[in-house]
Amino acid sequence: MKTTSSIISLKNLWKEYVLGDETVFTALRDINLDIHEGEFSAIIGPSGSGKSTLMHMIGLLDKPTRGEIIVNGNDVAKLDDNQTSTLRNSYVGFVFQQFNLLNKLTIKENILLPATYSRRKLDFDPDERAEMLMEKFGILSKKDSFPNKISGGQQQRVAVARALIMKPQLVLADEPTGNLDRKTGTEIINLFEDLNKSEGITVVMVTHEMEIAERTGRQIKILDGQVVSDKK
Amino acid sequence: MKITIEIYLLLKSAWADFKRDKVRTGLTSLGIMIGVLSVVLLIAFGLGLKNYIRDQFESLGANLVMILPGAGFSGGGNPASLTGGAEFDEKDVSSINKLPNIKYVVPVFIHSSTVSSANEEKKVNVMGANEDMFSLLNLKVHAGELWTKSDVEKKAKVAVLGYTIAENLYKNPSEALGKTIRIEGLRLKVVGVSKKIGNQERDEAAFIPYTTTFGSINTKKTFFAIYLGIANQDLVGEVKESVETTLLRRYDKDKFSVTEQSEILSSINQIFAILNLFLIAIGSISLIVGGVGIMNIMYATVTERTREVGIRRALGATRKDILLHFLTESTMLSLFGGIVGLVLASAIVLFIRNWFPVAVNVFAVILAIGVSSAIGIFFGVFPAKKAADLSPMEAIRYE
Repeated sequence: MKTTSSIISLKNLWKEYVLGDETVFTALRDINLDIHEGEFSAIIGPSGSGKSTLMHMIGLLDKPTRGEIIVNGNDVAKLDDNQTSTLRNSYVGFVFQQFNLLNKLTIKENILLPATYSRRKLDFDPDERAEMLMEKFGILSKKDSFPNKISGGQQQRVAVARALIMKPQLVLADEPTGNLDRKTGTEIINLFEDLNKSEGITVVMVTHEMEIAERTGRQIKILDGQVVSDKK
Repeated sequence: MKITIEIYLLLKSAWADFKRDKVRTGLTSLGIMIGVLSVVLLIAFGLGLKNYIRDQFESLGANLVMILPGAGFSGGGNPASLTGGAEFDEKDVSSINKLPNIKYVVPVFIHSSTVSSANEEKKVNVMGANEDMFSLLNLKVHAGELWTKSDVEKKAKVAVLGYTIAENLYKNPSEALGKTIRIEGLRLKVVGVSKKIGNQERDEAAFIPYTTTFGSINTKKTFFAIYLGIANQDLVGEVKESVETTLLRRYDKDKFSVTEQSEILSSINQIFAILNLFLIAIGSISLIVGGVGIMNIMYATVTERTREVGIRRALGATRKDILLHFLTESTMLSLFGGIVGLVLASAIVLFIRNWFPVAVNVFAVILAIGVSSAIGIFFGVFPAKKAADLSPMEAIRYE
C-alpha cells in the first residue's frame, strides 16, 4: 500500500472530550491514516464529523487522548510545548478559512511571521523567499499594505505564501475557499494544485464541498469521527 | 541578530496595538502616570522641605550654639518636646554672658501678633532680641538703620521691619521709615527696613529690642531661645559643656538642650529620611492601583486577542513567545506612563522652584522608571500567562 514515505502517520488515534455533564464525547475514534509525500488529499465530511479535529491533530495544534502521531519518526504526543511549537513552525504551513492574517502587520510582515518564530538556522533568506512568493502569487505590489485593505482572494494568497515561507513538508488548508466567492475559490484551488504538481508540495485540505474534493488525488471521508472511505 | 529582530518585532507589534487604540492606551497608562507623578512630586517636596529647613539653619552661620527648651535635638531626644520646657530669662542670659569664649549672646523672644499702621493691619512675627541678632541673622538694611546696643539699654520704642511687612503696610517699603506702628498697644517708631532675604518668616518680622517687649508684649519676660555665637569652631564643644553646667543649676536636664548647628542638621536629615520613606509609601499606593489597572486591561486584551494568540501559536510561537509578547506590551504601557509622569513631575517641579526649593533627584528618576517597569512586568505576568496557556486549537477557533 505504501508507495512513498509517510510525512505523518496517525495510529489508533482517539480524541475524547469530557463534556460539562461528564458524558464523554468521542470526536475521533481509532483513526489510522498516513499522509505521503507529494500527495494532494482532501478530508471531507459534514460539519461535526470530526474533520477539523483531525486536521488539528495533523497540524499538531491538539493532542490525542490515545494513540500516536508520528512525524519524522517521533511521537508528537511525547514532545513538550517548545518542541511541538518548533515542529509546527518548520513542518506544517496552515491556511485557514478566515485567512487569519494579523491586521496590524503588513502583508510582507504577515508572510514573514513564521520566520520570526523559527529556532533553527534557515538554509534560505526569508526576506528573499517572501519576495519570491509574493511575486509568484501576484501580491508583490501589496507588500506594504495591510490585510484589511486587500481583497479576500489576495488575503488568501498572502495566507498561502505565509504557509509556504518555512518550506514546510505539509500544507494544511482548512476550508480555504469557505470565505471566498466561487471564482476566487477556484483560483485558490488551482494554486494548491499547481503547487502540488509543479513543486511536489504535500497538501491536505479540509472541505465539505465534494466538487472541490474531487480536484484532489485522494479523498478521505470522515463520519462520526471515523474514516469511512479513503479513495485514491 | 535574531534576538534584536525579535525584540524589534515585539516592540513594533506593541506599538501598533497602542496606536490602534490611543484612548485606551492613554487611560491605561494614566494610572501609572499619576502614580509616578505623585511619587516624584512627593519626593521633590520632601527634599524641598528638607533643603528649606536646612537653609534656615545654615543661614544662622557656622559657629552657632542654640539653647532651646525641651530635650531638643540633642541625645536623640524627641524634637516635639521643643515646647513645654524651660522658659529662659535675663538671669540665664547674664550668667551665660559671664562664660568665656562666647562672642555674643542673643536671647530671642518670638511672638505672633498683628501690626497696624495708620491704615493697615497685618500679621507679624515679633522678634525681640538684642543688637547682635542682626549679625547672627546676617541682616542688612534696605533703608534707614538698625537699632543699637544703646536702644536695647534704653528700652527704646523702635523697630526694624522686614521688607515684606513694610511693603504690606506702606506699599513702598522705604516709606515706613519714621512712621509709628502699633503692636499690641506698644507704639514703635520704624527706624529701618531690612533687605529682602527670601525667607518669609524674617521678611514678615518686626525686630524689636527685647527690653522693649518686656512688660507689654512679653509679659513674663522670658525667651524662647538663646543663641550663642562662638569665637572659634574648635571651642564649640567646650562652650556647650560650660553652658550646660551653668543651666543645670536652674533647670532639670530634660527641660533644655544645648545644640550646635551640625547636630540639628543631622537630625533634620534623619527626620526627612523617614518622612521621605513615608511619602514614597503613600505614592506607591497609587502606583499599585495603576498596576492593577494595567492588569485589568491586559486581561481584556488577552481575551480580545485570543484568536491572534491562536494564529501565532499555529505559526510556531511557543508559550514563552506569547508570554514575552504580552509582557512587552504591559511593560511598555507602564513605562510609557512612568516616563510621561516623570516628565510632567519635572515640569511641575521646575515651575514650583520659583518659590520653593523642590528638587527631582536621580533616585526619584531611577525609582520612577524602575518601579513602573517592574509594575508592568509584575501585573503583566498573570494576563500574559493566561494568553500563553491558551490551547492553540481553541484559541484559533475563538470568535
